Amino acid sequence: MSSDAVKKRKPKVIRNEEGTPETKRGRAEGEQDVLVYHEEVELEGRDPQQDYLLYKDTCAALAKLMAEIQELKSSGAKSVEMEERRRQCSVHFITLKKLNRLAHMRLKKGRDQTHEAKQRVDVLHLQLQNLLYEVMHLQKEINKCLEFKSQHEEIELVSEEEFFQEAPAEISRPHVTRDDHHQLTLARLDWELEQRKRLAEQYKMSLARKEKIHKAIEQKREYLSSLQPGLQNIMQASLPVQECLSMPFEQMQKQAEVARHLPPPLYVLLVQAAAYGQACDKTLSASISGDVDEAKALSRPPEDSQDDESDSDAEEEQQNTKRRRATVGVQLDDKRKEMLRRHPLSLCVDLKCKDGSVLHLFFYYLMNLNILTVKTKVSTTTDLSGAVSAGELLNSESLLNCLYASDHGQETPNPTNRYQFDKVGITTFADYVSDLGHPYVWVQKLGGLQFSSDGAQVSCDVALSASHMERTMKLLQGRLQARLALHKQFSSLEHSIIPVSGECQHLFPAKVVSGLTRWTMMSYQEFTELGFVQHVLKAGLLRETDLFFMAVVERGTARLLAAVVVNPRYPEVMPLFSLSLHWKGERSGRTEDNLRAMESEVNVFRAELQGPRPGFQLLTNQIQRLCVCLDVYLEMESQVCDGSEGPKEFPREKMCLRTARGPSRLKPFKYNHPQGFFSHR
Amino acid sequence: MFISLQLLHMSVFSQSFSPCGRFLAAGNNYGEIAVFSLSAALSPDASQASQKPILNFTAHDGPVFSLLSTDTHLLSAGNGEISAWSWAELIKKVRVSCSVNFINLILIVGGGDNNIHIMDMETGIFKSVLKGHTDYIHCLCFKEREEEILSGGEDGAVRIWDSRTNRPVHCIEVFKYEECARPQFGKWISCLATDSDWMLCGGGPSLSLWHLRSMSPTSVFPLPGCQREAVFYQDLIMSVGEGPHVSHCLHGGTVKAQIPCTPSSLNTLALNLKNTEHRVMTVGGSSHQIDVFTNFSYKAFSLSF
Repeated sequence: MSSDAVKKRKPKVIRNEEGTPETKRGRAEGEQDVLVYHEEVELEGRDPQQDYLLYKDTCAALAKLMAEIQELKSSGAKSVEMEERRRQCSVHFITLKKLNRLAHMRLKKGRDQTHEAKQRVDVLHLQLQNLLYEVMHLQKEINKCLEFKSQHEEIELVSEEEFFQEAPAEISRPHVTRDDHHQLTLARLDWELEQRKRLAEQYKMSLARKEKIHKAIEQKREYLSSLQPGLQNIMQASLPVQECLSMPFEQMQKQAEVARHLPPPLYVLLVQAAAYGQACDKTLSASISGDVDEAKALSRPPEDSQDDESDSDAEEEQQNTKRRRATVGVQLDDKRKEMLRRHPLSLCVDLKCKDGSVLHLFFYYLMNLNILTVKTKVSTTTDLSGAVSAGELLNSESLLNCLYASDHGQETPNPTNRYQFDKVGITTFADYVSDLGHPYVWVQKLGGLQFSSDGAQVSCDVALSASHMERTMKLLQGRLQARLALHKQFSSLEHSIIPVSGECQHLFPAKVVSGLTRWTMMSYQEFTELGFVQHVLKAGLLRETDLFFMAVVERGTARLLAAVVVNPRYPEVMPLFSLSLHWKGERSGRTEDNLRAMESEVNVFRAELQGPRPGFQLLTNQIQRLCVCLDVYLEMESQVCDGSEGPKEFPREKMCLRTARGPSRLKPFKYNHPQGFFSHR
Repeated sequence: MFISLQLLHMSVFSQSFSPCGRFLAAGNNYGEIAVFSLSAALSPDASQASQKPILNFTAHDGPVFSLLSTDTHLLSAGNGEISAWSWAELIKKVRVSCSVNFINLILIVGGGDNNIHIMDMETGIFKSVLKGHTDYIHCLCFKEREEEILSGGEDGAVRIWDSRTNRPVHCIEVFKYEECARPQFGKWISCLATDSDWMLCGGGPSLSLWHLRSMSPTSVFPLPGCQREAVFYQDLIMSVGEGPHVSHCLHGGTVKAQIPCTPSSLNTLALNLKNTEHRVMTVGGSSHQIDVFTNFSYKAFSLSF
């Protein structure tokens, strides 16, 4: 009810409020009789405290009246008094209602005032914010302006002193610029611009010149390349002339061309061999064979090839892991093959001998091991078949054994190879020798490779090669000739003929009755099993690399077995004979002094038995002497034997002064020419 | 290599100890004489090097078959010549030229001309000749007590001569005695030794011990090969010859022991009795090694050329 009253009153209030002060003023003056009740005006006049007191009083009075009513009702009193009190209550109620309204109106008023104040504050607040924002904005702008870097600062300008010195006055305007920094900078920029323009001009001119020169070069090149075919034609035409004059420039050039791709040791060898051939020995010729393209591929930068190797290794490993089977062996094999790889180019040196046979030497270079190896081949003018025992003589495996003493060529002379071999599990190089060739020490020396035993630096020394060349070549030729001579001798020995040349006939008496009946070759195994050669073994005079033979000399019932050791360096080293006689029992040089003397006679006297230089007759002379000694032995056998008085088997035909001498009663084995008698040494 | 070849074919034919007994000289078939130092080889710290000669020189063209030591000199006999070397200089390792400087010495030489020559060492003149043998003489020995010379030769006879009168006293033809004779070997006598009344001789015939007063063989030693040298030592007889051993025999005729040696047959045996410190026996033969026995029952070590 009160709210409705308020609502109703609102429009009134508003109107009235607006109008009230005016109307009040106006009406108060103008209209006296219309008294409009303005409760709001009344509100301003009343004190809230008093209203509150009034409220309390009213409530108390109401309560009292209610109580009286109650009494009256219960006591059954008359309604007039009740009505009186009821009316008083209603009056009090109205008072209360008014008070309520007043309270509400006060509240509203208070709210309105607050609201207004708030609004005023808000407006001010907004203004403040706007100003602050503007300040901030302006500050930012100022900062931006301050930070602005002009591009001009990035240009390197000449220093001020230089500028003032160099720049012409119009630009530098010193009177202005010295004071004003801004002007100074401007002036400097101007100057810079001008300089740059000038330089750009120069640059363009230089470019143009360069182009012209390029063109000129191109023209000249074309001209030269057009000459090339002409030169080729001339060279072709000159080939027959070269052959005619036997100055093979073309060939030599080609060889030189290929030679550039040779590895250093082979190159040294080629150069030295060619030089030696030209200077000393016209029968020597050297040539290169092999695949040049591969060599070229190899000689490309070493990083490439190393990368290739490691790549291929990595690839291999990858492949191996892909395959499930254990391929460690295959991998190791590949690594071995890689380690033992030969350079694609090889050198072929031909040595010709007087009788027309040729010794071909093929030199290979093993790249990873840094050693040279050699393979041999012999080609002869005559057919060499027919001597069974001579099979080993020209065997290419053993032909060059021990060219220098104890140079067997079975092991690599480079000490670092030992460590390389360990990595890939090669125990000994000897297994690969038949494939790859022999790594003799003299071959390394010819290639200028020298390996010192402490593994120090290996150098490719030309002087080393040169100093060894002559001797080695002579040894090689000597070796070939000796072997060929032996070969011929063996074929006649096998036919039981001892070929004694005319110059050596004086060493032996005219009549030699004992004859060679058998000449065979033996292996090292068989030889060492013989009983009567143990003294030679013990004295350390034979090696596995030697050649072993068995000769059988017979006369009548007597049979003499001779085991012969021929050193590969024959005839520098004498063959060694060991004897065993089968005649009325078995005797050997160990049991009988006379046989020992015979051995001594055959083994020791090199100067006599050598024959004419170069001493190829040595072996045959030794065998012939052996036959003579057997004759002497058998004939000088003591007159009385077995107590029998019958004719002796071997009548004495030799002349001698004494049949026995010395405590060991040796027989006279020495033949004296031309008297023809035998004496003791 | 040539040297090892030479060594392989070397034979030692003769030996002789120095007068002081500290050195041994040996001659071989190449005509070389090597002097070894026994004191070095026998010392406790001996090495391989001390078994090599301290001096090795070529004395003759042919083999050195005989070596003999006097008080000051070493005499060597080759093929027809006798050389004398001073021991003092040999010990100093100086190769010395022949020098003859003797006092009061007589040398008895048996030669290939079937005769015995007696030479006065001081003057170098041959004083007398003993003729009698029909073939060359192999061995000689001297009986000091009776001043008698015994000689044995290729003709198989042992002749005894009186050195004062230079006349033959006896002649024993050993091969005629059946118990000694060995016709399959021959009749030559190659070794002779005497000890007062006893004589040893052997060669083609077996080694036999003879009593000189009765001129008969008392014992014959059953040794298989031909003996080339024999000596009396205390109550033993030691002999060497064909076969790689030294035979120790007793006077009774039994072979007590055969000691093995390096060479396959032995030519010479020498006893160093002058020096008590280095009392050794050395043997040499068909090898370049000379065996040294400190205890006569076994080989101690070998000297090597």
